[in-house]
Amino acid sequence: MKLISLTLLNVTSSSISKINTLELIPLLTIMILMMGAFIVPILKNKKNVYKISLAIFSLVFIMNLVNLVNVINNGIFMFTIGHFSAPFGIVFRIDYIESIIGLLFSFVMLMIVWYSMYSLEKEIKVKRVSFFYTLNLLLLASLLGIIYTYDIFNGFVFLEVSTLAACGIIIAKDKKTNIKAALKYLILSTLGSGLVLMGIAFLYSITGHLSMEFIHDELVKSAASNQNIILISLILFTVGLGIKGAMFPLHIWLPDAHSSAPSPSSAILSALVIKAPIIFMIKIFYMVYGKNIIQGTVILNILLIFGSLGMIMGSVFARRQKELKRMIAYSSVAQMGYIFFGIGLGNELGLLMAVYHIIAHAVTKSSLFLAVGSIIEQTGFKKIDDIKGIGKEMPVTLAIFSISAFSMIGIPVLPGFISKWNLSLASIETGKLYLLAIILLSSLLNAAYYFPIIINGYFGEDNLDGKVFRSKSKPIKELMPLIILSVIMILTGFFSGKIIELIKFGSYF
Amino acid sequence: MSNLLINYIQVGAVVLFGIGFMILLLNNNLIKKIIGMNIMDTSIFLLFISIGFIHGKEAPIIVGGKFHINGYVNPIPTGLMLTGIVVAVSVTSFMLALTIKYYEKFGTIELDEINAIKKNNN
Repeated sequence: MKLISLTLLNVTSSSISKINTLELIPLLTIMILMMGAFIVPILKNKKNVYKISLAIFSLVFIMNLVNLVNVINNGIFMFTIGHFSAPFGIVFRIDYIESIIGLLFSFVMLMIVWYSMYSLEKEIKVKRVSFFYTLNLLLLASLLGIIYTYDIFNGFVFLEVSTLAACGIIIAKDKKTNIKAALKYLILSTLGSGLVLMGIAFLYSITGHLSMEFIHDELVKSAASNQNIILISLILFTVGLGIKGAMFPLHIWLPDAHSSAPSPSSAILSALVIKAPIIFMIKIFYMVYGKNIIQGTVILNILLIFGSLGMIMGSVFARRQKELKRMIAYSSVAQMGYIFFGIGLGNELGLLMAVYHIIAHAVTKSSLFLAVGSIIEQTGFKKIDDIKGIGKEMPVTLAIFSISAFSMIGIPVLPGFISKWNLSLASIETGKLYLLAIILLSSLLNAAYYFPIIINGYFGEDNLDGKVFRSKSKPIKELMPLIILSVIMILTGFFSGKIIELIKFGSYF
Repeated sequence: MSNLLINYIQVGAVVLFGIGFMILLLNNNLIKKIIGMNIMDTSIFLLFISIGFIHGKEAPIIVGGKFHINGYVNPIPTGLMLTGIVVAVSVTSFMLALTIKYYEKFGTIELDEINAIKKNNN
């Protein structure tokens, strides 16, 4: 009875207070995307499918831009959905990090969708195009939901939606390998989400809340008496989200899934889908448990070890691959290692760099995958050995590939360098100097598998024999999204100071 | 030890979770994997609902505008698990659909048989 009257009180009190219209944006973007997901499959004309989905993604991108400007001007805000406030209703918390990542996701998605308009029908059946866009709309909606939400159970539901949608865009191609890869991904993902749900159950049993803020308050009060449960739930969350975010020993689903999917899907999977669980993990670590509890446990050291292992082993595996796309998929494992490494360092700079590297990697890896996708589409070659001399036939595409690869290796000014440099500074700050050797070794390994492709592509007498200049290059109109992506990538490096400052404003630390 | 006996529902839930987890991870038959997933999810539902249950309290349904004297059990975990069941059902159906596709393409639902066939062909 008390509960009901309390809820009623909350409703009346909060509906009186006015809501700023700009604060509606996070919820509206998700609603527009979900509605779009229902509209797209009933359209009969294929052209309309492209037009409407592109329009929806552009609208979402612009709305997220407005949202970021609003957050910069007016600061962090909480949005209560349906006027039910925190312990009972679901709340969105829009911080600097949330709005930046939201903008990033909608931007990358828009570019990938734009690119896919020209190339999708060569890879999947025409009949499936509208379903592909439906799944993309649902996927972006769920990813934005994971980022914005301030309620762990809500986050879990969005996580499941994103898993199913991601599986859907893998099997859009309907080949043998796709189905096998999607099954592998789905089985491991269900394991992961089972563990996350178990973690939520343990947290609920000691705190009685689902809202992150309230759990945190209860945990701080009773941290000393519940250390075992805190550790168990932390491990459950880390392993569960680690599977979804491709933490090193749990990454086994990633190479199959990312290399067999159609290239726009691989770009989405690599740039966005594995990033959202990490944001959720950072939120759980620093908003639910809080800095003091997290630093009192072993979990950060475990993340550091697995991150370092991923940085090195991911590159070692990538070096051994013969297929181009598979190599880039393994490179994703290595780059995710950097993010876990940053979180695992446990100081402020490390966390900032983890978030910055999420941005850097999303922009870089998507342009890398799309460039490789267009190389495979134009030449039909999948093996690394076959594409020698491609620089003469497709100069622009290989140039984009090279810039992105330079960023992965860590050539100064490009975003990959900024995160490696700052991660090194952060590891000096913690006093663990041997970590520098790991960062250096991983960079060298990155160079070892990216440089041969670029060199063989552009130079060498016998490589360029019989190749005609620009004979296979795509029209510039179709390469536009790729070019924009790489320009934004370079700008991310140039204005890294500004971006890091913004992330710092909303730091959870 | 006595703690384990008092919290027998939680212990049962965790044991069931372990069983489901191992079936999902180690079994090669896809249908058995799906069954394992369902056991795992159901164990979490059991755990959640046992957290919200209080002995001697009524189900949280108000009839005719009168409140019950004994009070009610916590309705939130039950409500959450409705969502959890929906999620589990949709994942199960998706996995079953994928299993059918897998059978169409490979002619078997055993994951290890495929590797054996590949080895024989090589």
